[in-house]
Amino acid sequence: MICEARDLHKTFVQAGTFPWSPRREVPAVRGVDLTVAPGEVVALVGQSGSGKTTLARMVLGLEEPDQGTIDLEGVRWHGLSERARQPRRVRYQYVPQDALSALDPQQTVLEHVEETLRVLVGCDRHDARARAMAMLERLGLPARANSLPRQLSGGEQRRVTLARVLALEPRLVVADEPTSGLEPDRRQAVLRDLVGNLPESAGCILVTHEMAAARAWAHRALVMLGGRVIEEVDLRRDEPTHPYAKLLFAPWDHDVPDAPLATSGCPWRHGCPLMDDALADTCARGLPALTPLSPGHGVACHFHHRSSS
Amino acid sequence: MGALVELRDLSVHYGDKVLVQGVSLGVEEGSVTAVMGPSGSGKSLTARVAMGYVDEGLRVATGSLRYPAHSDRDWLSGVAGGPPRAHARLRRATRVLRGGWLSYSPQAAFSALNPGRTLGRQLALSMSRRVEPPASPARELGRLLERVGLDLDAARALPSELSGGQCQRAALAVAMAPAPSLVLADEPETGLDPVLTRVVTELLLDVCKEEGCGLLLISHHDDTVERIADRVVRLGAHA
Repeated sequence: MICEARDLHKTFVQAGTFPWSPRREVPAVRGVDLTVAPGEVVALVGQSGSGKTTLARMVLGLEEPDQGTIDLEGVRWHGLSERARQPRRVRYQYVPQDALSALDPQQTVLEHVEETLRVLVGCDRHDARARAMAMLERLGLPARANSLPRQLSGGEQRRVTLARVLALEPRLVVADEPTSGLEPDRRQAVLRDLVGNLPESAGCILVTHEMAAARAWAHRALVMLGGRVIEEVDLRRDEPTHPYAKLLFAPWDHDVPDAPLATSGCPWRHGCPLMDDALADTCARGLPALTPLSPGHGVACHFHHRSSS
Repeated sequence: MGALVELRDLSVHYGDKVLVQGVSLGVEEGSVTAVMGPSGSGKSLTARVAMGYVDEGLRVATGSLRYPAHSDRDWLSGVAGGPPRAHARLRRATRVLRGGWLSYSPQAAFSALNPGRTLGRQLALSMSRRVEPPASPARELGRLLERVGLDLDAARALPSELSGGQCQRAALAVAMAPAPSLVLADEPETGLDPVLTRVVTELLLDVCKEEGCGLLLISHHDDTVERIADRVVRLGAHA
């Protein structure tokens, strides 16, 4: 396994408006398992605030989990000091959400990729330049090699962040909404460049709220709701079954419940069409583990749990 | 139902480049007209001209623009094919309409709200553009907030204290505050997840129908447009 995370929890403490205002605890991720096999693209999908980004950042060690374990390529990754992580970091790379703010306004495209290679891999100048140009060619950017970020289109800026990451031949790429802010008709091309150019048998975690992207590019999608994974599904074979996942994938075909998410028990229970009187107590108590429906397809729902057992 | 906007045979040039050629669109009272097309097809540009705003540097070559419910004037006469001066004059002339009779619901709600002012003050300012001021501004403000699904406490909040979805609702309230006859919504789904997109679009539609104003919607999403638009204008890559 490239990545194996078990039972991750993370709660943020939010300060109030003033220093003396009471602090608020915001649970972002509440018990999530995540595995990425070699060569696999896993999509994290869900609404804003469902904990996708926090989960992805914890995998890279950009946030420390409150609880739970993370192993990358079979070696412990959680709770290590930065000094211990440093030599391994080059293998696990992050594609940021906002490309323009992640790029240096005074560096050209080529310099971005070249510098990354020289600093992180330790290539010499000649080697770094050759490898950087090769990667820019694969992404269709050689004509832009000497341009500054502000002279590029949104899609090209995005490709520079991809080139910089892919040139390192990482084992795991975590892309946090790599297509946000792009025109919808340009998004597919950027994702094709990302997924199509991943090193062989590398893993990829794709955080997105574009369901079309998850369908087209991911081997497996984890549907997140209220900091938990409520469904795991291979979209090329199966359709989502959890009522929330159905709504997320086809928002116009299902009713949007007025009720807010429940803070305890199943977060979706206030607006759930599957819940009946017999289940009400069970749903209020907690969320079951993923019930396997078929290989690679599991749903965390008491309704499906009951009908399968 | 009377027509709110009639834009006919619009062509816009930028230098030698033709950005939009021969586009017509109309919005009727209480109806939704959607403008669709790939990026760079001139969706926003067309919608902006329909709102009486031609960006600097652009030249309207042909076209006529009328707001039949407002006046009989053809706002593009003298502008189409005219010098830059005439374009600037159009921007100034229609300024009194924008933010009042014509309103705009922005693409990125958070960055469109003033970060240093509470929502209540922004709403009050926006409401001051009304031709007939409401009898009780405070009550009207409460009604607006309730209409978009925010509670009264939101009037005292700064935009940074609101969530993404709340900001969208707040921006819609600001757009509706001047009691406009026509609202332009430029890609209201930008940056929103699918469920929130549906909620916000439906809210936009409900509010516009209820207040009896027309909606000009720029959108990329076929399924959204299919469900709510009465008329669709499709622009080609180089229309």
